[in-house]
Amino acid sequence: MMQKISVLLGILILCAPITALSGDQKALLFHAGVGQRSSLNEIKAVWEERHPDQKVNFSYKGSGYFIADITRSRQGDLFMPGEEFYLLQAKERGFVENYNPETDIPAYFVTVIITPKGNPANITKIEDFARPGVRVGLGNPKSCAVGIWHEKTFKKAGIWEQVQKNAVLSAKCIPELGNAAQHRAIDATIVWSTTAVLYLRDVEIIPIEHQYRGIIRLPVATLKFARFSEEAEQLKAFILSPEARRIFHKHAYSVDPRIPVDEQSFCLDGTTDRDMGHLVNAARAVKDESFPVTAETVGDLIDEVERQRKTLRAGT
Amino acid sequence: MSGEECSRGPSAKAASPGKKAASDRLLFKTFFYSFAGFLFLFSAYLFLSNFDQLLVTEAAVKTRELTTWGEDREILNLFAGGFWKDPYFWKSLNLTLMITILTTILASLVGIPTAYALSRYRIPGKTVIEVLFSSMLVIPASSVGLCLIVMFNYGPFWHLQEKLGFRFAHSIFPGMIIASFVLSFALGLSAWKATFDSVNPRFEQVARSLGSSRWRAFRTVTLPMAKSGLAAGIILAWTRAMAEFGAVLFFCGTFRELPPARFSNLERALHIDQADWLSVAIWAQVEYGNVEYGFALAYILVLIGGISVYAMHRIGAKGYIW
Amino acid sequence: MGNGFLARGRWWPAVTISIALAAISFYLLLVLSNWFYLGLADTVYFFSQPRMWQRFWLTVWTSTISMSLSLVIGIPAGYALSRFSFPCRNLFASIVDLPIVVSPAVIGAFLFGITTRFPFDLISEHYNIYIGRNVYGVLLVQFTVTCAFCARLMKASFDMIPPKFELVSRSLGASNFRTFFKVVLPMAKNGILASMIVVWARAAAEWEGLMLFVGASEGETDIMPFAIYLDWNGGMMGWVTSMTIVCILMAVTAMAAMRLIGGKSSVW
Repeated sequence: MMQKISVLLGILILCAPITALSGDQKALLFHAGVGQRSSLNEIKAVWEERHPDQKVNFSYKGSGYFIADITRSRQGDLFMPGEEFYLLQAKERGFVENYNPETDIPAYFVTVIITPKGNPANITKIEDFARPGVRVGLGNPKSCAVGIWHEKTFKKAGIWEQVQKNAVLSAKCIPELGNAAQHRAIDATIVWSTTAVLYLRDVEIIPIEHQYRGIIRLPVATLKFARFSEEAEQLKAFILSPEARRIFHKHAYSVDPRIPVDEQSFCLDGTTDRDMGHLVNAARAVKDESFPVTAETVGDLIDEVERQRKTLRAGT
Repeated sequence: MSGEECSRGPSAKAASPGKKAASDRLLFKTFFYSFAGFLFLFSAYLFLSNFDQLLVTEAAVKTRELTTWGEDREILNLFAGGFWKDPYFWKSLNLTLMITILTTILASLVGIPTAYALSRYRIPGKTVIEVLFSSMLVIPASSVGLCLIVMFNYGPFWHLQEKLGFRFAHSIFPGMIIASFVLSFALGLSAWKATFDSVNPRFEQVARSLGSSRWRAFRTVTLPMAKSGLAAGIILAWTRAMAEFGAVLFFCGTFRELPPARFSNLERALHIDQADWLSVAIWAQVEYGNVEYGFALAYILVLIGGISVYAMHRIGAKGYIW
Repeated sequence: MGNGFLARGRWWPAVTISIALAAISFYLLLVLSNWFYLGLADTVYFFSQPRMWQRFWLTVWTSTISMSLSLVIGIPAGYALSRFSFPCRNLFASIVDLPIVVSPAVIGAFLFGITTRFPFDLISEHYNIYIGRNVYGVLLVQFTVTCAFCARLMKASFDMIPPKFELVSRSLGASNFRTFFKVVLPMAKNGILASMIVVWARAAAEWEGLMLFVGASEGETDIMPFAIYLDWNGGMMGWVTSMTIVCILMAVTAMAAMRLIGGKSSVW
């Protein structure tokens, strides 16, 4: 008797995955940079609620890995790397179904300086990175886009040589820099505003002056070998819609499509100043309970501030 | 070896009765062999079928063109990207071997006395301690790396590092040794303890009653009896240190792109500057798009792992739980 | 103290015990540092979140399935490795053991290599799924690392049973299969149960393979150890530490349960 029951149980357990196969949901495969995870998960929740027949499977990886992955596997419906560079390269190889650089940018990253809580090395501007003894975290330009921006920014400021001497960490992906700042392994680094907003309680955020403030285009495109190209197009249109842009804005992306930039993509005027001000206020608000949290002080970052205020250690 | 003894009995028996028993035996053996064979074929398929990943294909060249950032991404050879011409590979191998050997020495210096104490002396809460150490073997390496970060970057260890003026995290010398030590020690300990448990304490008691000191009794009686088991444990600890990945990735990160000035003179003299832990390098290379290079490094690790596991089988290692 | 202490070798137990205590306190501190970091209020908060338990159950059911698959293969294979002798047995056993001794990151890379090939591309075409991008990829990784491990543990359990019982049973006229099911398996029952728990815990601890091979879908493939890595990259230290605590508790519970059943984690 016992044997029969255990055999039956065994068969049930073995069959469980096969029954799960029989659902006829359309599963989209979405290659996305690991930095976009929080906002894209929110978009996915909204999308799947509206389209119960569809399911979005994300493949979050570091930006450099996508091209290798797509070249070999030839799978995927949508593509949203952390920098336009990767998308242009994929387009050149003919993987991209349609991409219009004018319109297909749902959001922008903005560079900011982050330091550990209390700003131990007293960093206030780009030039401070060159001071001897400052422990700087740099990105690896081969594997993450922020590495290119470090080089670009410090070269423009003319302090690249000194900053390189100060480097103590070479990050493979941007969250590594944020974590290092959070755990006080480095004294300062430059990251996207969207990364900085994850560590409001444990880091200080310092906006960069206009001439060194980078604006990074975050593109989205559909892929040629999409299994559900129609649905992929729809999802892409949704990501470009104002509703999805608002979700991006809640995660500290800049979504204003008219940010004037020079040919190196450095910011020209104060269009992003408001977002930066909100970000700095958000960092203060999480650390200081008495700071007022309103749409006036922190803008769309209210949800983020509320969530990080709830716990001593960040969670969602 | 015990397996051979076991099999001699049944097969001698199977020869004596009639044909029916022989065919029954054949069916029986085939049934069980087929499962072992499946495992063998699965493993062999997994490792051999990827051999063509080593060749630089058209797709790989295209990938390379795509993700090229600097002139140093050129393909040195059409086989495996010419990894043997790359100083990065030799430095990484050097680094990994050096650190794993140091780790193994440290783990045996700490682990053999610990195993002996746990096996011989009355220590309160022994069950709890054993559960703690054996559970280290099934704790995910990501948790281990994280525990290390939290442990060393907060609390008393942080103040210690402030005083000393250097950081354990993201460093080669204390950092990598600490990261690879945790699991390698736990695994070695299980093997060493198993060995000491299997040596009868009677012998030691006899030696002591004949007037030898405790240390002498250990050195001249227990140690020679436990020799092969201890050796197997050392190989085991070393293999585990070689296979370490998550803890090193979390606690130390990558070092390749750092400027030479970041490394100390000792590190440069030992040729371990601007190099990565081997298994982290595999991951990094595959993620950069250098798939054939990453697979070449992976095959190196497979070869090293295969040789050491073969050595363990030859010695007849006990306490072998991964 | 002094002369007598050194001459009679008393220092040796003192040294071994103090080294052991140092090692134990290091590991205790390592395991407990998470609680100190997280604090009580946050621990309560994160443990009451549904996301935590959803991930916990995902980990439990995926590792249960891969454990059962491994057992189906591992018990007979372990028996074959334990009882039969054949040429190049050590070499054979080494190759079987390879997936567990090499770094799991290597397994991830190799699985990434094979899933776009012959048997797997047919399956993914037929079912219109992407193998390795969903929960089947998780199961495949877990199965790959645990099946050899399971065979290894089973071999150890069968090694502990003296073969003379089988001899007796067969000489009394029982067939080979009858002997296996009625004599060997019941005798090995405790060993198999204990190994089962270890295999389960090992499957629940697998993540390195997933990192290269399976992408992350929220609530689909992010079993707990993998979610630790993903949330670490998302800057969510609270989730990371609380999930680490759950992983440690899972491992400790599994090992304690194994000890309760009477398996010996270290002695084989």
